[in-house]
Amino acid sequence: MIKSEPKSILQFMANHYDLLRDLFDIQVKNDIITKEALNVCLENYDKNIQAQLTEYQILVEQNDDFAFNEPYFILFEFIHQQFKPLLPEEIEHFGQAIRTLFLKIKEGINDDKNILSERIEALSNQIKKFTNAVVNNTKSLLAESKELKANNKKIDYQEKIHKARYLIENYISPLNTILDVNHSQSIYNELLNISQFSNVKRFDYGDEIIRREFEKLYFLLRQVGKDLNTQSVTLTNELLPLIDRIKTESQYLRGFHYYLNNGNCYKGIEPPRIFISTRDNIYNRFVYENTKEYFEQFKNEAELILVEDAQQTNDWLFDKSKYKETLNKNLPVEDFFKWCESSIKQESDNFSFDNFFMVTSLLFEEDYEVKVSNDRKMITVSNDNSELIMPKLTIKKQEDVS
Amino acid sequence: MYPDKHKEIVTSLMEGRFITVEDLLFETIKKNEDFYIKFFETSFGFELIGNHDFFYLVSSETNENTSRDISIFFSILCYELDKDGKNFLEELNYSEFHIDEILEYFKNSSWLDVIKANKQLNTDENIKRHIGTMVKRNIAVKQSNDRYSFTKAHKLFIDFAKDLIKDDKNES
Repeated sequence: MIKSEPKSILQFMANHYDLLRDLFDIQVKNDIITKEALNVCLENYDKNIQAQLTEYQILVEQNDDFAFNEPYFILFEFIHQQFKPLLPEEIEHFGQAIRTLFLKIKEGINDDKNILSERIEALSNQIKKFTNAVVNNTKSLLAESKELKANNKKIDYQEKIHKARYLIENYISPLNTILDVNHSQSIYNELLNISQFSNVKRFDYGDEIIRREFEKLYFLLRQVGKDLNTQSVTLTNELLPLIDRIKTESQYLRGFHYYLNNGNCYKGIEPPRIFISTRDNIYNRFVYENTKEYFEQFKNEAELILVEDAQQTNDWLFDKSKYKETLNKNLPVEDFFKWCESSIKQESDNFSFDNFFMVTSLLFEEDYEVKVSNDRKMITVSNDNSELIMPKLTIKKQEDVS
Repeated sequence: MYPDKHKEIVTSLMEGRFITVEDLLFETIKKNEDFYIKFFETSFGFELIGNHDFFYLVSSETNENTSRDISIFFSILCYELDKDGKNFLEELNYSEFHIDEILEYFKNSSWLDVIKANKQLNTDENIKRHIGTMVKRNIAVKQSNDRYSFTKAHKLFIDFAKDLIKDDKNES
């Protein structure tokens, strides 16, 4: 059990990355970190962190010496994209697991659904591990072959050929066999069989959950097929012809290798200086065209014509003072609404009730007294559209009231 | 009096173009090299760099991204030409390449991680545009039928890569 917080461990690794990187390189080279090597490394960095290294289980003791705990070692391999080439036997080990699981799935296709589902899941995991192993192995073989091609260590031709042959015989050719579509026993062919089988079962299996499992497996295999094909192309084009390829060697090729390797071209190395077209001119060389274009946009502007509405609208405006004056002259008025109607009709026969009500608002002026007529008769006011039935109102001036 | 084609020489160089030995202007500038070195230094503070293959200008500012992309382009192309069993120095000097041929070299390259990380080289269209940039700078020349050749200006970029290991920097 690790007592520490995961965050603390990652922080620790970030803080002491350079030291850990050195330890990783030591292990890659010697397969082990001796006690002395660890002490030298800690002294070089002037760090007293041995306790944390073991507490976080980054290093584990091996007799009196140390080694990276496997998950950390895999993490370092991955983040540096620096993989140790696997022997074909190590990759074949995934092939065996894949074959066995596939056989079990076929034999037990009608067995308990739970175990079938777990076998499909386990098969997917093994296929992923196999693919990762192949991809990482191709990467490491590619890196080694590029190194050999660049010949930075300037080894002689015979030794170079010897190394290339060793790589081809022990790593590249066997890996090619594993991926060889023409080889009936290749793992690649086994994956094709699984793909066909899962493609059928994802449609015709009775249980929906299992159908879905087969579908996931089928789609995984489609992607795996593409990935393995890419590796196979690299093997055919670049790795198998290694002996031929290392025949040519030049300082140029070493330079390209150095420049492109480890992302060097993106960090640290400045490319040749080249000119930036200057912006220091007093005026832009297209200034004439640009200015002309600027003014021409106004020249061609569409002429805006305002057309006045030929038909005059006769908006009626209520001239309150004029009406009030007239009303005052006629007071007392026996039938106020009729008076309003006749007054407004003097201006226009075709009046609207909106206009009519504006005139009737005189009723609310303070200096009038309004009464409902004694005979309580109703009167009507009408225009072309409708008719209003209203009470007969008598209106007097306040002073007239006695 | 200014040399013949003075305006053309100045305009070309100021646009970031290389004037290469294949170019008619090269002779004029070569004959008047001292004049032009002084002219660019005095007028603009730019340095004229030349050798028996090409002339070009540099200023205090440099277009680092374009230069890096061109250097990566030639490094990968040469690497792939070599893989294809060809002498890349001869190919760059004397051959024409169909655009599809160049695209194919990049597609099948094992420097895929470098190519993917480069926005000028990560798709066919971007590679074509990048070659267009090289044409504008007279590093590449467009021939007929989608074919391209390279001017002597390519040497700046491949010699740069070669010189990186002059001091055996990565021999540890």
